[in-house]
Amino acid sequence: MRTSVPIKVLAQLGWRNLWRHRRRNIMLMGAIVLAVGFVLLANSLLRGWQAQMLDTVVANLPGHVKVLAPGYRDDPSIQRGFQLPADYQPDLPGVDSWTSRVRVPGVILSERDTRGVQLVGVDPQRELAISFLADVELEGEFLQDSEDRRVLIGAGLAEQLETSVGRRIVLMTQGSDGRNREAGFRVAGVYRASSSGLEKVFVFTGRRVLQDLLDSEAVTELSIRLVENGQRAMARDLLQRQFAAQEASTWDELEPMAASMYKFADTAMLIWFSIMMAALAFGLVNTLVTAVMERTRELGMLRAIGMQPGVVLLQVVMESLMVVSLGVLMGIGMGMLAVYSLSDGIDLSEWTAGIEGYYMSSVLVPVLLPYDIFRITVLSLLFGLLASIFPAWRAVRVEPLDAMRR
Amino acid sequence: MGEQDYVVQCHGLERTYHDDGIPVHALAGVDLEVERGDFVSLAGPSGSGKSTLLNCIGGLDRPTGGRVVVGGVDLASLSATELADVRLRRVGFVFQSYNLIPVLSARENVEFIMQLQGIPAAERHRDAMEMLDSLGIGELADRRPGELSGGQQQRVAVARAIVSKPVLLLADEPSANLDSHTTEELLQLLADINQDRGMTIITATHDPAVMAFARRRIRLVDGLIVSDQRDQDAED
Repeated sequence: MRTSVPIKVLAQLGWRNLWRHRRRNIMLMGAIVLAVGFVLLANSLLRGWQAQMLDTVVANLPGHVKVLAPGYRDDPSIQRGFQLPADYQPDLPGVDSWTSRVRVPGVILSERDTRGVQLVGVDPQRELAISFLADVELEGEFLQDSEDRRVLIGAGLAEQLETSVGRRIVLMTQGSDGRNREAGFRVAGVYRASSSGLEKVFVFTGRRVLQDLLDSEAVTELSIRLVENGQRAMARDLLQRQFAAQEASTWDELEPMAASMYKFADTAMLIWFSIMMAALAFGLVNTLVTAVMERTRELGMLRAIGMQPGVVLLQVVMESLMVVSLGVLMGIGMGMLAVYSLSDGIDLSEWTAGIEGYYMSSVLVPVLLPYDIFRITVLSLLFGLLASIFPAWRAVRVEPLDAMRR
Repeated sequence: MGEQDYVVQCHGLERTYHDDGIPVHALAGVDLEVERGDFVSLAGPSGSGKSTLLNCIGGLDRPTGGRVVVGGVDLASLSATELADVRLRRVGFVFQSYNLIPVLSARENVEFIMQLQGIPAAERHRDAMEMLDSLGIGELADRRPGELSGGQQQRVAVARAIVSKPVLLLADEPSANLDSHTTEELLQLLADINQDRGMTIITATHDPAVMAFARRRIRLVDGLIVSDQRDQDAED
């Protein structure tokens, strides 16, 4: 007759053994709590960075998906524009906001200096819903509509040009006929963005005004922000069908470096998790082996009175998993508390210049996803399970007779 | 006497160890038959093979030659898992150092074997309490081994060994850690179990007091049985 596995007995024995070596198990649990807590916190900070990165990249004019004319990315001129019907509305699911723009390279001149910039003709109200302009600090006024003949310039550029709100500047660019065009504009406002790079590059004016200057009815880009980042590939494919003669791209195709960093954040989470868990696993295996060695006689006796080898293995694994599970649960709790305590974000403004290149803003807010909690919990338990297999195997290898002689 | 009347049958039993490559014959061809309901003591000097013989009979050690049949089951043909099952269901063990599980109470220690056997909670609880009561330690049922004296622990160990009614009780130096008074009590207990329950008992011992309680006294020297004496009363 075969014996069924007495799970309840093992659970009872395991639980009591947990308290039998209280100090050792509390120290072991403490190590697990710290490791899991730090992993969750680090994970949340990396997720926060990812979220910021995505927001920053999408807001820095690409949107989640964008339609451009073929060749525009190599030669961004009005000749590479395309016509968009006046009553155009995107026929896509999950659209959060959208806009069309005219964006061409140009030169801005003040009475003090001259700089190369990107001239961007916008519909101001649409632009506020999709781009970083919604979050800037503005001195002066925002543009009124697409026929506003004034410009918005960044604070960094204003400093270089030694100009300010209300002063006049001149914009020069190449028209649709290939001839140079220039016109005078008054500065409506000076914006301060999260990145000084943005401030020095983008000069905004009304879309109709820039089209008039370029002598064209075309736009150079259609930019769409989606509710869900995960829908971008589907949206791109739909747009590609609707604009067969143009090129539809997602933000990660347009900004490969940002996309690499975004993916790197995922890898970094895994690397950080693996390092912490590997360090923990060494300690765990060591402690569990010690625990098994200390109980060699007892385990031998259990075998002698008829406990099956597989049941002994299960008992050691179960005891280990009890310690690990308690540690992981408390670690998740500690990590969540740490994330909660940092919910206002970590002020990184002292390092603003250094972190701009990583698409970060001056305040890093941790982001805690239920999926990450689940993943860290499951993987930690899996690590615990793996770490308990060797000690359990050692326990099974105990010969009852040898053990009882000790 | 038919085969079914023997609880233990050993034929040409050999157990050879290798100590630094040198063979040591712990058992050198033992023939032994133990009848149902017998009380046997295995005696002999250290290294005589008495514990090895006990371990081979209990399925804790595998002989290198010969056969051991316990309750009609030839142990040589069994896997480690099957041997564990024999130990669980057919053989009760009482060890020199009691070997109780320290985190379980006396009652839980007694119930433990039955839990491994899959006996329902109510039944094993009742049987365990009856057993502890019958051995005179019912009031200690909720105490853990650390809270019991050596003699009380050994009584719990006996209760655990016999509660599931094995065909054979093996006791290896059961009095080694007990004083003479407690030894006397333990031996009386084993004698009662043997007589009242008809349980077959084999002990391995140095202790003349233990030998005196056995009805059959076997002496081993150098892995061989050199004498096998039975009480005249029992013979009559």
